[in-house]
Amino acid sequence: MKINKEIRQLSREMLRASFTDGQLDSGRIASLVDSLIARKPRNYIDVLKNYRRLLRLEVEKRRARIETASEVDREATSKVIENLKKRYGDDLATEFVVNPQLLGGMRIRVGSDVWDGTVRNRLEQLQQQL
Amino acid sequence: MSSILEEIETKIEGLKTATTKTNVGVVRETGDGVARIEGLSDVMLNEMIEFPNGVFGLALNLEETEVGAILLGETTKVSQGDEVKTTGKLLQVPVGKALLGRVVNTLGQPLDGKGPIKTDAFYPLEKIAPGVIKRRSVSQPVQTGIMAIDAMIPIGRGQRELIIGDRATGKTTIAIDTIISQARLNKAGEEGQIKDYRPLYCIYVAVGQKNSNVARALAVLEKEGAMPYTTIISAPASDTATNQYLAPFAGAAMGEWFMDNGMDALIVYDDLSKHAVAYRQVSLVLKRPSGREAYPGDVFYLHSRLLERSARLTEESGGGSVTALPIIETQAGDVSAYIPTNVISITDGQIYLETDLFYQGIRPAISVGLSVSRVGSAAQIKAIKQVAGKVKLDLAQFRELAAFAQFGSDLDAATKARLDRGQRIVELFKQKQYTPIPVEEQVAVMWAMQNGYIDPVPVERVKEFQLKLQDWLQTRKESLLTSIREKKQLDQEIESQLKTALDEFKITWR
Repeated sequence: MKINKEIRQLSREMLRASFTDGQLDSGRIASLVDSLIARKPRNYIDVLKNYRRLLRLEVEKRRARIETASEVDREATSKVIENLKKRYGDDLATEFVVNPQLLGGMRIRVGSDVWDGTVRNRLEQLQQQL
Repeated sequence: MSSILEEIETKIEGLKTATTKTNVGVVRETGDGVARIEGLSDVMLNEMIEFPNGVFGLALNLEETEVGAILLGETTKVSQGDEVKTTGKLLQVPVGKALLGRVVNTLGQPLDGKGPIKTDAFYPLEKIAPGVIKRRSVSQPVQTGIMAIDAMIPIGRGQRELIIGDRATGKTTIAIDTIISQARLNKAGEEGQIKDYRPLYCIYVAVGQKNSNVARALAVLEKEGAMPYTTIISAPASDTATNQYLAPFAGAAMGEWFMDNGMDALIVYDDLSKHAVAYRQVSLVLKRPSGREAYPGDVFYLHSRLLERSARLTEESGGGSVTALPIIETQAGDVSAYIPTNVISITDGQIYLETDLFYQGIRPAISVGLSVSRVGSAAQIKAIKQVAGKVKLDLAQFRELAAFAQFGSDLDAATKARLDRGQRIVELFKQKQYTPIPVEEQVAVMWAMQNGYIDPVPVERVKEFQLKLQDWLQTRKESLLTSIREKKQLDQEIESQLKTALDEFKITWR
């Protein structure tokens, strides 16, 4: 998709207007989108596409994806969430996924940061260093 | 067996496998040797990034929400949705003496099937050139063994001398001749024939060349025994644009190791026009804005930062040097095109080769008027200065008069003498490829020319006279050649010896 300067600027402005108190506000986002559709400026579909992309990246920054090899008990889950919220703020959304391919341990991804303590990762490191 | 097990066990114990924090991104699109990656918020410019399946990339474009990276190695193994990790490392290549005699690719991996390269030293590809304090001016010669160059356009250690000309005018040949000449000198130095000789190691970087051309250069260097002092870095036309773009920097890194360790190195970049084209391709697929002839805006900086890395260091910094011989191919003799003017302005002089001269049989086809070395006679030994000081002027006057003399048959004696002398100098400077002439023989031949020994010889037999003279000096007057080589200047004693030698030779010559 070719994005020109106008599209980029408008979608960036919309993103900036989507926050209340530093948090994404779904009500404001809906009204912004509605008003854009009502006004129909030039290239508004591309603007919306780019806005959606920026929103997605923004949401990903505030979402923790926690992968484990097997189900984790409730106590450990709450401890992990607590620790993550301490580091990233209270508005962090969390998502738990079971992935047996990890063999053991836990892998947490928040935005583009990853903490990898899985057995698979350790095995891969061993493989590289040996 | 048990010792191996123990070794592995201690290795495993020493390994760090604790939970580590990494920065990752996701490949959004890939193709043409580049990938656009979402995420990677902590990536740094020019940092190596790791794709799955052991493929690495280089982050070149850091944008608001995306990173543009070029891929090194197997580009087909990367696909959309792959997770990419930062490594916190710069791209680096193996350096050191283990690379001499080898043919490697851009990343320093062997291509010659002679096994792995054993070295523990690595240098980053991109490095800031030495500053003003660490440098000193160029004063030691690089003996190319090509008489026309050593006499008129001397190259010094630490200099950057451009070789420029149309296709098939002998640009690569000059570079290969120079490498062969260095190998012979290095060998002579090792055997103790030349006192206090500082060996000059050569690196030949082939960018965008045909594989057959690289193979031919390799065969010539092997045949002439130059490979033990030479590394060939090959990024042929079939290689990716990324590898072609990085190859000269890899060469510079390998050369810098010699410089930093107090040794001398010579790097041939063959050629920088194709390098610029490869960089243009990389830039265009990365969607960087294009400028003149669709080259990106930083194509000048690309070449200036590369060539600026050649230097001669002060004694306190080790006294090493890196000499660069970049090659540029012009189209129909147009030196005023974009890339040629850029590189001409960066280098300390150029050797301009002309198609017309080449087909007239004047080989190497060096155009005396347009070739220049800005370092000048500081990079010549005194003996050459004594015999060749006026040659360039003589030749320039000859060319002017030659054009003029076509119209009239009656010439005064002085003009005629000048024309005759000029014709003979042109003949002397013709030289077969892959036959560098040692400096002492150059001195003897040019002394003979300066002192009128060649004037009675008919023009068409000058070359024969020269070859016989060299041969005769080698077999009969070895001590004279040795004393020229050692004293590096012509004093009265040597001049009288030269006089008697040439008088003797004149009797045998017919």
